[in-house]
Amino acid sequence: MTTSLSAPPVVSTEPALPRRSPLAPQGGRRRRVALRLLALVILYGLWELAARTTRNPTFIPSPGAVWHQLIQTSTVHDGVRGYSGHLLIEHLGVSLRRILIGSAIGVAGGLVLGVLMGVVGWLRVVTEPVVTFVRALPPLAYFSLFIIWFGIDETPKLWLLSIAALPPVAVATAAAVQGAPTGLVEAARALGAGRWAVIRDVTLPHALPEIFTGIRLAVGIAYSSVVAAETINGVPGIGGMVRDAQRYSQTDVVVLGLFAIGLSGLLIDALLRTAENRLIPWRGRL
Amino acid sequence: MSSADPARAAIRLTDVEHRYGDVTAVGPIDLTVPAGEFLVLVGASGCGKSTLLRLIAGFEEPTFGSVRAAGEPPVPGRGAGLVFQQPRLFPWRSVGGNVALALKYAGLPATPERVDELLERVGLRDVARRRTWQISGGQQQRVAIARALAVENPLLLLDEPFAALDALTRERLQEDLRRVSASSNRTCVFVTHSVDEAVFLGSRVVVLTPRPGRIALDLPIGLPRTGLAPDELRGRPEFAALRAEIGAAVRDRSSSEVSA
Repeated sequence: MTTSLSAPPVVSTEPALPRRSPLAPQGGRRRRVALRLLALVILYGLWELAARTTRNPTFIPSPGAVWHQLIQTSTVHDGVRGYSGHLLIEHLGVSLRRILIGSAIGVAGGLVLGVLMGVVGWLRVVTEPVVTFVRALPPLAYFSLFIIWFGIDETPKLWLLSIAALPPVAVATAAAVQGAPTGLVEAARALGAGRWAVIRDVTLPHALPEIFTGIRLAVGIAYSSVVAAETINGVPGIGGMVRDAQRYSQTDVVVLGLFAIGLSGLLIDALLRTAENRLIPWRGRL
Repeated sequence: MSSADPARAAIRLTDVEHRYGDVTAVGPIDLTVPAGEFLVLVGASGCGKSTLLRLIAGFEEPTFGSVRAAGEPPVPGRGAGLVFQQPRLFPWRSVGGNVALALKYAGLPATPERVDELLERVGLRDVARRRTWQISGGQQQRVAIARALAVENPLLLLDEPFAALDALTRERLQEDLRRVSASSNRTCVFVTHSVDEAVFLGSRVVVLTPRPGRIALDLPIGLPRTGLAPDELRGRPEFAALRAEIGAAVRDRSSSEVSA
């Protein structure tokens, strides 16, 4: 209390803020980029060092070997197309397609379930333990069940990703829908909004930031589950490629696959975040 | 339709009492508000004046007695516009979008022209496309009033709408509200703890006792509703006299409660 009050009144922060703010984020940003680049260079150096000292490319492949595999798997050479008959980009594309479809179904299902859970009391009581139960299971655990039910083609993979992506969205949506601010709900009702109009115009928009967090989580889970989903009959697919490479001790291909998954994951998260900032300009304004 | 019938009171409270658990917040109260009146409810904090307004709005049902608006039990969003202490604007909609939503709920065409017209009525221009957090607190409260005025409801209920604003903005909004209410001729119920605000705005002032809120004083305000500048009005001797009388009633009631 006293410290905040006795803050030097000479340095008035109000006029100082607008003068500094146009510069501060830019300077901070440049610094951040520089810091990240530096970290990357150091990591690269450590990797190179580790590869040279161990001298065992099956254990730690060198950056150069991985780069070579990137070229190999991205081109047709000696009549062989990429890896296992598919280019790296094709493996990645198939996996991304699975992630996209799986997350889309999971997110849609999670949204519907979450809204219902948030609005209908008895439904929440019934479904909450089920959702938590599924959430606690590692996706690989129920994959076997899907294989038995749906065979080894696309269907069980999409089921796996959908079921894995559903709970985080459902939980986030349900919590956010329940937490709709009474003040705004009353304001809408005072304007003549009915039950569904309140959900559409107040509850859902208010829940959108949290729903988006749930979606990002869900896509992340779908991402990490795709490798599991592609352990069986996964080629083409980045998980299948990694799996095959592991079987033949092609560690450089394994590492390349990891990079492909991780980097595309970063990209998609960045896309989602951009979409979030565009769609939810009011985030934090309530 | 029926509310325009002058024989029917806009609001009628009969033997109304409201309890939260064991605590009686309001009542018993009997109060009849004829159509076209600007009633101000004054009282110290916690005297139940907001509860009374919520009863009239239909957000609460009385524990005992009956509340009638235009002869019927009130339903939120039907027949009454409501302005809260906080603007309660929807941040996911633009300023104009907030007003348009009110028109939409009422089944009225929400054209940009109509929205601008409503915003101009509360003294706002060129703000329809702004985000709600890009305008000042006073402007936000103006938007909330425009939103409540969007539908031609016979009743306008205001719950300390200017309490959170600075003195200058508050005075300007009071003047604007006085002007708007005089021209629209709808029934208003305005809750405040400011005696000055009560005398300035009301055509009738009801002072409530501290919890449980009961009617301590019911006074018609005989000041002219139109044709006088705000400063002229405040400068009149009747204004000072009324303010003194109501102020005494508010103080008297709160202090007697403390000493008892």
